[in-house]
Amino acid sequence: MLEVRNLHKSFGTNEVLKGIDFRIDKGEVVAVIGPSGSGKTTLLRCISFLERAQEGTMQFGDRQYDLPHTSNREIREIRADMGFVFQSFNLFRNMTVLANVMEGLVTARRMDKKEAEKIAMEMLDKVGMQERTRYYPDQLSGGQQQRVAIARAIAQNPQVLLFDEPTSALDPELTGEVLDVMKKLAAEGTTMVVVTHEMGFAMDVASRVVFMEGGYIVEEGRAKEVFSNPKEERTRQFLSRTMRDYEYSV
Amino acid sequence: MSERIIHILVSSFTQILIPGIKVTIPLTLASFAFSFLLGLFLAIVQVANISILKQAARIYIWIFRGTPLIVQLFIIFFGLPRVGITLEAFPAAVIAFGMNLGAYNAEVFRSAIQAVPQGQTEAAQMIGLNYPQTLIRIILPQAFPIAFPSLFNNLISLLKDTSLASSITVIELFTTAQQIASRTYEPFALYCEAAVIYLIFSTGLTWLQSFLEKKLEWKTNEKYLNAAKPE
Repeated sequence: MLEVRNLHKSFGTNEVLKGIDFRIDKGEVVAVIGPSGSGKTTLLRCISFLERAQEGTMQFGDRQYDLPHTSNREIREIRADMGFVFQSFNLFRNMTVLANVMEGLVTARRMDKKEAEKIAMEMLDKVGMQERTRYYPDQLSGGQQQRVAIARAIAQNPQVLLFDEPTSALDPELTGEVLDVMKKLAAEGTTMVVVTHEMGFAMDVASRVVFMEGGYIVEEGRAKEVFSNPKEERTRQFLSRTMRDYEYSV
Repeated sequence: MSERIIHILVSSFTQILIPGIKVTIPLTLASFAFSFLLGLFLAIVQVANISILKQAARIYIWIFRGTPLIVQLFIIFFGLPRVGITLEAFPAAVIAFGMNLGAYNAEVFRSAIQAVPQGQTEAAQMIGLNYPQTLIRIILPQAFPIAFPSLFNNLISLLKDTSLASSITVIELFTTAQQIASRTYEPFALYCEAAVIYLIFSTGLTWLQSFLEKKLEWKTNEKYLNAAKPE
């Protein structure tokens, strides 16, 4: 459903992505793992045009795009079918929970307010935040904010949801509530790309795992295979390092 | 203090206060409104990166921050008639104060807009808002409370700077005090009295500021939250 080919991205002289081929099919949950600075987040940001790639092509649905030369109109069209969940939530601080979820529907899609509110309430119900509709983001915990941010993303009815380390900014005791929501979405067949350090989540929920290091995709495959029997030495090293931490944290 | 001075102070108090209320305050508010809109415009063209307008805005700010207010006032009131633009004293003062403070407010707005985290813009883009929508719905509402204390600071400065309008024949608070001072030969008493009246006005503004700042917080009152259980 979404496929990028030969994606290159540099910041100044620092090449962060060195030719990435990445794809996700409808209904798949792909976990992107790897050490800090491996380019995982940049990959997600290039797919959503928050960063502009210097080279590469993208196919999304039945349309083909040349990444460096995609027009603003095309970008809007692509984003209309994409949901993005940020590490730092990025809820609109000047709006209540309900208004945050309604904003895209009412302002960008010119939907009737009543109808938008109905959809927003459904989405907030789905993430377990229906009791907090009148709160402002600053009055919520990080986990609650992230659940609202997920509701805001799915309210746009996207084809694919992109998660950029959605639990990294959370206190450990708050990650569970967010991961539970994501598991629920995965179980409903939502197509998701999840950049994550949560190995447990990647192992349990992802249908496929992509391991990145140094701007390359080093290995990818079915989650169970990559975790139990990694083919590449670098993957093995990374997993043994992080899984040890993971066991400590459990 | 002699009885005569007390008598002069008492009788002149309302004489000075009335032009203060009728001229100084409207002059302050009108000039500030103008400077607010001008500053907002100059800030937006800079952050929106509209290249020609951005250059023009930088030059404008450079000139109006770099020259004295009283010189600007004189150019507009005494100078412009030479090129065929003759203005009444009051509108000339509004234009001069507004244009001058607009340059300062532009910088206040620009820094406030830049203080809104980039993530807010990114989130807005990802749910489909275009740039003007993002600016109006997300960025400016969040920049305003950041700008507010500095804007209010400028407003209080402006209130006092309007006394310069006396030099272009606007009959405002200070002009009136000057007139009474020269009539009664009591400059010390009269100018102190004028200072006190300015102080009363600016104290009022200071109270207004702290009252409004509380209103600018994005928090739903707890009581209201409990009263309004969602159905």
